[in-house]
Amino acid sequence: MPEWTAHVRPRLARLGLDPAREAEITEELSQHLDERYEELLGGGASDGDARRLALEELLEPETLANDMRPLRQANVPPPIAPGAPRRFLLSDLWQDLRYAARMVRRQPGFAAAAIVTIALGVGLNTGIFSVLNGVLFRDLPAPDAHELVSVYQTLEGVPDREGAHLGGLLSTSEYRTYRDRTQALSGIIGHSDPSRTTLGGEAPQEILGLLVTCNYFEVLRHLPAIGRGLNARDCETGATPVVVLGHELWTSAFASDREIVGRTVELNRQWLTVVGVASQGTYGGLLYRAAYFAPISAQPLLLPNENAYENDKNSWLFLIGRRSAQASLAQVRAELRVIAAQIDRQQPGRSTTLLVERATPLSMPVFRGVASIAGAVVMTAFGLVLLIACANVANLFLARATVRGREIAVRLSLGASRTRVIRQLLAESVLISIVGGALGSVLALWSFQVLVAFALPSFSPPGIPPIVLDTSPDIRVLSFTLALTFGTGMLFGLAPALHASKPDLHVVMKQDSSASGTGSRRGGRLQGTLVGVQVAVCMVLMIGAGLFVRALFAAQTVDPGFAYRDVAVASYDLASAGYDPERAAVFQSRLVEQVNALPGTEMVAYAQPPLGADSTPVRIRLSDQDVSQSRTGQLNSVSPSYFSLVGIPIVRGRTFTDAELVDDTRAAIVTETTARNYWPGQDPIGQTLLWSITPDQEATAQVVGVAKDAQVTSLGQIDAYYLYRPAAPRALPYVALLVRSRAGFASTASGIRATLRELDRGVAVRVSPLEANLEYWRNLSGSVTALAASLGALALALAAVGIYGVVSYFVSRRFREFGIRMALGASSRSVLGLILRHTMRPVAIGAVIGVAAAVAVSGVLSSVLFGVSPVDPAGLGGAAIFVLGVALAASVLAGRPATRSNLVATLRND
Amino acid sequence: MLDRERKKGSAELVILSIVESRPRHGYEISKLIETRSAGQLTFHVASLYPLLYRLEERGWLQGRWVEKPGQRRRRFYGLTAEGRRVLAHQRDTWKTFVQAMRLVTGVDHA
Repeated sequence: MPEWTAHVRPRLARLGLDPAREAEITEELSQHLDERYEELLGGGASDGDARRLALEELLEPETLANDMRPLRQANVPPPIAPGAPRRFLLSDLWQDLRYAARMVRRQPGFAAAAIVTIALGVGLNTGIFSVLNGVLFRDLPAPDAHELVSVYQTLEGVPDREGAHLGGLLSTSEYRTYRDRTQALSGIIGHSDPSRTTLGGEAPQEILGLLVTCNYFEVLRHLPAIGRGLNARDCETGATPVVVLGHELWTSAFASDREIVGRTVELNRQWLTVVGVASQGTYGGLLYRAAYFAPISAQPLLLPNENAYENDKNSWLFLIGRRSAQASLAQVRAELRVIAAQIDRQQPGRSTTLLVERATPLSMPVFRGVASIAGAVVMTAFGLVLLIACANVANLFLARATVRGREIAVRLSLGASRTRVIRQLLAESVLISIVGGALGSVLALWSFQVLVAFALPSFSPPGIPPIVLDTSPDIRVLSFTLALTFGTGMLFGLAPALHASKPDLHVVMKQDSSASGTGSRRGGRLQGTLVGVQVAVCMVLMIGAGLFVRALFAAQTVDPGFAYRDVAVASYDLASAGYDPERAAVFQSRLVEQVNALPGTEMVAYAQPPLGADSTPVRIRLSDQDVSQSRTGQLNSVSPSYFSLVGIPIVRGRTFTDAELVDDTRAAIVTETTARNYWPGQDPIGQTLLWSITPDQEATAQVVGVAKDAQVTSLGQIDAYYLYRPAAPRALPYVALLVRSRAGFASTASGIRATLRELDRGVAVRVSPLEANLEYWRNLSGSVTALAASLGALALALAAVGIYGVVSYFVSRRFREFGIRMALGASSRSVLGLILRHTMRPVAIGAVIGVAAAVAVSGVLSSVLFGVSPVDPAGLGGAAIFVLGVALAASVLAGRPATRSNLVATLRND
Repeated sequence: MLDRERKKGSAELVILSIVESRPRHGYEISKLIETRSAGQLTFHVASLYPLLYRLEERGWLQGRWVEKPGQRRRRFYGLTAEGRRVLAHQRDTWKTFVQAMRLVTGVDHA
C-alpha cells in the first residue's frame, strides 16, 4: 500500500491543528486514499495510474487547507510546554508578563520592597529631569512652539561692539536685515533682556519689563487677554508710546481692572498708553514673566542712558523666529547663514557665526553652557542613587533566583532554552520596574512641582523676581521616564537572570528546595560585587555630601571680611527714574545730608553693596602689558567713608578724598591680593594700571591705597583682581546708599524711605539689611547642601538595607553550618567573625574604590564649594568611617541570628 | 454535471441524507453519493472531509472511531438529533425551491 502521509501532512501543516487531531485526520484521509487506490487497481488500473488517480482526489495543494481554515479545530494555540521552540514572540512576551505578574503577586513582600526602591530611584531622577527639562529642553510657552527657533551670533573682527558680553545678541539693524530677507521663517521677533523699570504711582515699585518688536504677539501667536497686542504702527517713529501689560502686573498692581485699556501708566517717569493686557502664560523673556511689553522703539524713552535701539554696534536683541510650514530647521539655518554672509560682506573684517536651534527657555549659549554643566553634575548624583537602588533590587532578585533555582533547573532540564528562561526572569524585573517607575514618577512629578515653586524664590538674588519654571511633564519627561524604567529593569534584572539561568542542574536537582540553589560560590561573588558597587557609589555621594556640609558650616560661620551688622542698604535706580549724572549727583548729596541727620545714623556711604546682585566687571592691565594680557576683575565705585563703614581696613596708603570724587580722577584703591598679583614684593602705592569697562574707553588709574581682602563678590571667594574707584558723578546713578545706624533696621529703613519720598516721590526704593545679602548666599549654599545631604543619606540608607539583605541571605543559607559549628564548640563571637570577614571584604574594596573616586569628584566639586580644599582629609575620612560603620552595623544586625542558632532546632526543621 | 455553486449549496443536504439511515464512513459516503446520483455528483477527499468536519463542529453529525477485529479502525459519521431536525427542514426548503423554479421556468423535473 502506498504511503500517503507525505502528501497529506504538508497540506495540513499551516492550519495550526492540535497535533493529535492532525494525526487523526491524516489517518482518516490516508484510509480513504487506500480504498480509492484499491478500487482503481481492482478496475484494472496499473499501480502507477492508481496511485496518481488517488492522489488527484486531493486536488490542488491549497484546496484542503482553504476548506479547513474556517473550522474551529484549525488555529488551535500551541500547548504551553517549557522550552517549546519559540514561534510567536509577542504572545510569548504576553505570557511571560502574565506569569511574572503571578510570581510577583505570590510574594507581595519581596515585590513591595523592590517596587518601593525602584520608585524612589526612578522618581527622584524623573523629578530632577523635569526641572532640567523646564530649563533646558522645553519648548517656549507659545502655541505651535515646535516651530520656534532661537537665533544667536558670535562675532569676530568687530572690536568696537557694545554688549558683546551678552553672548550672542543682535543689534536692531541686524534684526531688521534677517526679518526682511528671510523666507524660511514666517516671522521673526526680537526682544530685549528683561529690564528693570520703575512703575510710578503712590508707592513706586521696581518691575522687570521687556522691549519687544511690534510683531511679538503675532509671531508668537499670543492673543491678549484684553485689548490688543502691539502692531507695526506702534514701532514707527513719532508714534504715541504704548505698552501691553503683563497679566501678573495687571492683576497685582491694577486689580485686574478691565477699563485699563486706553489709560496711561508711568514707567521710568514716562507716560505710556495701555493698549492691551497679555494673557496669562505669555512668554516673557528667558525664564521670567515680563511685567510689561513695550515696543523696542520706546528704548530711548524708557532707558535713555542705554544707547541701544538706534545703535548698530549694540547687541541687545534676542531673536526668535517661527519656521514656515515647509521649512526644516536645516533649511532655516542654511538660509540665515546666507543672510549672515551678506551682512559680513558689507563690513570688511567681520565674520559671523550663527547658532540656530529649536527655541527653549534658556537657549542663550552662555547660560546654556553653565546650566548644562550644573545639570550634568546633578543628574550624575541622582543617577548614582538610582544605581544603588538597582544594585539593591538586583541583590533581592539574585537571592530569590537562587531560591527558585530548582524551578529554573526543572525548566532547563525539560528543554527550555537559556534565552527563554532569561527572558522570563527579565519579564519579572521589567514588570517590577514598570510598576515602581510609574508610582515613583507620578509622585515625583507632583512633589517636584510643589518643591520647585517653594524653592525657586531662595535662588533669586535680592531684588530680582523669582524665575518661572514649568516642570510639568511633557513628551520628553515621559520618554525619559520610560527609558529609565526599562533601563532600570534591565540593569537590575540582567545580572541575576544571567546568573540564575546557568545552574549546575545536577547539583540543584539533588538538593531540597529549602537549601541553597545555584552554585553558591558564583552567586556569592556576584552579590559581593553588587555590595562593593553600592558601597563605592555610596561613598562618593557621602563624601560629596560631607564636603557640602563642611562648606555649609564654613559659609555659616565664615567672616566675610567686612562688617555687615547694623547696616541698611537703600537701592534705587536713578537711571531708570530719568536722572542724568549731574542731577544724580545733586540728588545723592542731598540724600546723604538728610540721612545723616536721621536719629541714630553713624555713617553714610555709597557703593555697590558687598555680595549684592549687581557687579561691574572690568578689564585691568599694567601699562607695559599688551591688551591681550588684560585680566577680568571687579570694579566698585565707592565714597571715601565706605571702607570705615563696612570695616574694611586700608592697610597701606589712604582712602579717597572728597576732592577725588570727580570723573577724571586717577585715584584708585586695590585689594591686597591684586597688589600681590601685580607688584609682588614692591610697594603698590603710586603704581599705575589701565582699566576699562567697554573696550573703547580705557583709563589710567594710580594706586593711592591698599584695602584688606574681603569676600565681596561671592561668599567664600577672594577676587584676584579688584579695583575701587571714587564714586564720581558718572557712576552715581548705579550705586546704592549704605547707612550704619544704631537706631535698628526698621526705623532706619522707614527713615530712609521717608527721606527719599520727600526728595522725589517717583524713585522706587528697596531698603534691606546688608546681612540679607549674606543670607542669600548662605541660603543658596544651604539649599544645595540640603539636597546633597539628603541624597547622601538616601544612598546610605539604601546601601545599608542592601548590605543587611545580603548578609541575612548569606546567614540563612548557611544557618545549618553555623549551628553545627556552634554545637561543635565555636563561640558566637567566632561565628560572627566568620560572617563579617565574608561580608566586609566587598565593603572594604568598595570603600577604597569609593574614596579614590570621591577624590576625583571632589576636585570638580571644589570649584563650586565654599572654603573647602578639594582633598579634605577630615571630610573624606569622616564620610568613609561613617559608611563603613553603617555597613558594619548592618552586617552585625543581620548576622546575629546565626550566633543564636540552635543545632537541634535547625536539624528538626529539615 | 451540476454547476459548482449549486452543488455547494446542496452539499450539506446530500451528506445529511446519505447518513440518515445509518452511520457511514467517509469513503462509503463518497461512493454512495456518486452511485445514487448516477455519477452526476462526486466529492473528492479534499472537499468531502472539510465538509464532514464542519457538520460535525455544528453538531449535526457525530463522528466515531469504530474498530472491527482484523480491520483497521474507521471513522463513522451518524446523524445527531439536531442533524435530523436540520435535514427535515432543509428537505422542505429544497422542495419548495425546486417547485418554485419549475413554476417560474417551466422546466419539468429538473
